[in-house]
Amino acid sequence: MSAIAPAASRSTVELALRGQRHDVRGRIFSAALLLTLLVSLAVLIVLLGSVLAEAWPVLGSRGLGFLGDNLSQFDSRAGVRQGVIGSLILITFVALIAVPLGIGAALYLQEYARDTRLNRALIANIRNLAGVPSIVYGIFGVVVFAQTLRSVTGPESSGLSYISGGLTLSVLVMPFMIIITMEALRAVPRGIREAAYGVGATRWEVVRSHVLPYAAPGLFTGAILALARAFGETAPLLLVGAVTGYLTPGGSGNLLETLQGRYTALPTIIFNWSRQPGEVWGHLTAAAIVVLLAVILVVNLVAIVLRNRYERKW
Amino acid sequence: MAKGKRWARMLAGMTVVALVGAACGDDTNRGDGPSGLTGSITISGSSTVQPISTAVAELFNETNPDVEIAVDGPGTGDGFELFCKGEVDLADASRAIEEDEATACADGGIEYTELEVALDGITVMVNSASPIGCLTTADLYAIFGPESDGIDSTTQANTLSQEVGGSGDMPAQDLEVTAPGEESGTYDAFIDLAGIEDMAIENGVAEDDAPALRGDYTSSPNDNVIIQAMEGSPNAIGFVGFAFAEEAGDTVKEVEVDGGDGCIAPTAETIADGSYPLSRSLFIYPNTSTAADSEGLKAYVDFYLTEEGLVNAVELAKYIPLPAERQDATRSAWESAVS
Repeated sequence: MSAIAPAASRSTVELALRGQRHDVRGRIFSAALLLTLLVSLAVLIVLLGSVLAEAWPVLGSRGLGFLGDNLSQFDSRAGVRQGVIGSLILITFVALIAVPLGIGAALYLQEYARDTRLNRALIANIRNLAGVPSIVYGIFGVVVFAQTLRSVTGPESSGLSYISGGLTLSVLVMPFMIIITMEALRAVPRGIREAAYGVGATRWEVVRSHVLPYAAPGLFTGAILALARAFGETAPLLLVGAVTGYLTPGGSGNLLETLQGRYTALPTIIFNWSRQPGEVWGHLTAAAIVVLLAVILVVNLVAIVLRNRYERKW
Repeated sequence: MAKGKRWARMLAGMTVVALVGAACGDDTNRGDGPSGLTGSITISGSSTVQPISTAVAELFNETNPDVEIAVDGPGTGDGFELFCKGEVDLADASRAIEEDEATACADGGIEYTELEVALDGITVMVNSASPIGCLTTADLYAIFGPESDGIDSTTQANTLSQEVGGSGDMPAQDLEVTAPGEESGTYDAFIDLAGIEDMAIENGVAEDDAPALRGDYTSSPNDNVIIQAMEGSPNAIGFVGFAFAEEAGDTVKEVEVDGGDGCIAPTAETIADGSYPLSRSLFIYPNTSTAADSEGLKAYVDFYLTEEGLVNAVELAKYIPLPAERQDATRSAWESAVS
């Protein structure tokens, strides 16, 4: 009945079990893991470093002026203002459309739908859709939003509008949003649901008061990833009319007219500048990439702060 | 209740981002510009011509801020497709309109005028370490043409060059070919200007395969990437737009081209006077019936054809202005089209 000696620690136990032999394989394995981490970090640092160095001639001399200037063929005054605004409006569509719809669909599939063959086929299809190349969604967007629904999306702009672009990006990230949400919901322990049912909660009460709050951090992570992905997309936007060359600064009056009008986005600007002749455009391209990374970082930070606040209360 | 509020706060946060974005979109001072012109103009087409139309739009907006202009550059073919459906008011083109495109425009009831606005050259480039200094069009055929698959040195290329009537005396060098891909207007222009198609047909290539380059080169849609390839290897050879070549550094060099009248280096002068074999015209195609109704479009094209457009904007975009008499020819073509 004698208790374990109070001085027993991990190392003394290990020593007693293994004798004097060193855990060679364990050390090699942890060193290998560390190496993989360092390699990924090194790639990232080299990438960031070269982009920053390339961008410095622009950011260093023009600073925030680069953020406030519009599209221009004069390399001394070309800026990303229209692209940043355009991209923020586009991801607002995603946040307001794809995120709630994706969460709703995932809730239904995970919490309400029966496990039938049809539903399993449905889920498999959604997973496939999440892997479809983004250009395909661009083609979908042109046909459905820009052409068929032109009277709504932009009667004056051939349907090549913020609305078409925002809807296309929303459709693009929706399957991804559904899958991630389903994973988050599946991670909620059964015990929580069963305990709630056990004290007589209805399904609505279980989902509303237990499953959703518990899964909320996962949902936020999903939403962040979806927004970041939408922010960086170029190919589908080129199809649904993000302007590459020039756009007269200033909106077309009211909000609806603005949303039905032509637009541009940050990745589109990067795409266009990278194919202009001359070193200066290379610097401008890098500077725009830095801005893109910074905006994605800010979006992520805001979402992480929100997520952590929510997580603590649980 | 507290939880509900938190959800609401998050939603509110996202909405704020949206509204700030939307509000920023409206903040430029509007109101009547000095000209009082309003309306909107959409331009699409060649990505090569896009910088010129962009520069013109920007300069035009300085005095006419209320004319909304969008300039896009998906490619000459895509531009004509939209133009002939009446979805854009003006098509940029790095080549003249083709027969089937003209038919599509006629079917769509689109009337247009072809206006030559600038000149561009295609520059053949090699690494500065390369011994190659001048190539005949037969040499170009032997390096880039449809029969050159598998050729990876000038020694092999010399044989093919002699077959199609060249002298075949390129200095010995291995070859790594990097050039624009099929989707690029520069690809088509190169085949056209270097006479690749004719040489291929004469040498027994099937007619369908003749207007093409070899199938085994590294292609890129971005001329800057092609220049990087030239910088990276002493054996590299390729071609890019003249503006890109002029902006490239000392680690690459431009090759002279002999189209039958001796070796000519690509310069603004040789392209402007047409003596450099690989030079081409750039065009705009305004919709003339729209221009008749819309003062905005007419004013834009008028402005395009002033000194400010045909010289300043063209030079800003790093292309070569037309000789004075051809500028006048463009202006009179436009005047007779809209009068």
